[in-house]
Amino acid sequence: MSQSLAPECNELKERYDTCFLKWYSEKYLRGIGTTDNNECSTLFKEYSTCLQALKERGIDKLLDEAREDYKENDATLMGRKKCKSPRHPGISVGI
Amino acid sequence: MVLTHTTKDSYSHPFPTVTLAFFLRYCSPQLNPFASHVLSTDTISSHVDPATGRLHTTRIHLKKSRLPPAVMKLLPTSLTGGTSDKASYILETSVVDMREGWMATESRNLNYVGVLSVVERQLYTVPAARPSPAADSTDVETRVVFRSRLGDRIRDKLGQAQAQAEAAANDGSGGFFARLGARGIQRSIESLASTKTQDQLGKSREGMRIILERLRQTGIMGVLELRKMARERSLDAAHP
Repeated sequence: MSQSLAPECNELKERYDTCFLKWYSEKYLRGIGTTDNNECSTLFKEYSTCLQALKERGIDKLLDEAREDYKENDATLMGRKKCKSPRHPGISVGI
Repeated sequence: MVLTHTTKDSYSHPFPTVTLAFFLRYCSPQLNPFASHVLSTDTISSHVDPATGRLHTTRIHLKKSRLPPAVMKLLPTSLTGGTSDKASYILETSVVDMREGWMATESRNLNYVGVLSVVERQLYTVPAARPSPAADSTDVETRVVFRSRLGDRIRDKLGQAQAQAEAAANDGSGGFFARLGARGIQRSIESLASTKTQDQLGKSREGMRIILERLRQTGIMGVLELRKMARERSLDAAHP
């Protein structure tokens, strides 16, 4: 079973995941509710608060380092060759 | 030093189902036997852009031994932090656009980036010949970029001492890296990782196919039910 990195958040993660998967398959994929996914937002907030424990494990620091690192890498790589697909997501992390 | 690996593939399932399988792929080893190396998965952000209707999701996965053992052996423990911690954090970002019929994903490792950075980008699309989300197949292009900066770091570290290091290398008394040569190490790490990743890409495709088949048979509700049952079983096992 896919766990949360913070085992104490498993229960909240489970509830959020189930909500997300239902919303995604029953609404988003059918073109309903493509303007927001608020129906899982309360569950996400609870789960997210719990995940603050991630910070204690230094993940936020890793993220910062990775961002710096890749900024440098991407600058080198993209400078040489234009990225074919402009659609690719950059890193946007909200913890 | 950069090594790039690109593959094109297609799934005989409709685009919406494939995107759902992407989110489900690490959901449970009962669902996907190829996901047993995934220790944890967390969503850290998820939102729909009201202007475009695109769903942006960021997740962090913890996976066992991202770096192949052969790479680990090449490195001194001062760089790997010992061999006990063989898990690596993967940052996954994805954007789904149901209206235009594409999903773009990117996965990159968060630790060991100084040794090896692996960036995997995938673009899932509705085949151009049948431009309707109801088409029964989905194309995917996977591009993996490997980059080892290890040699750069070592050169940086050597700095002004480089001349002495080179001299030492020439007379054979230099350290491990000086003897092997930074470029040689970068090449070895990148090619070892690339070989391993090609193997893993095959497994990840297999995993996706198993989930897709399950979705075809039981639908999402069946998958959610299976997931719940697997979870209850694991709870029972933990607290008999």
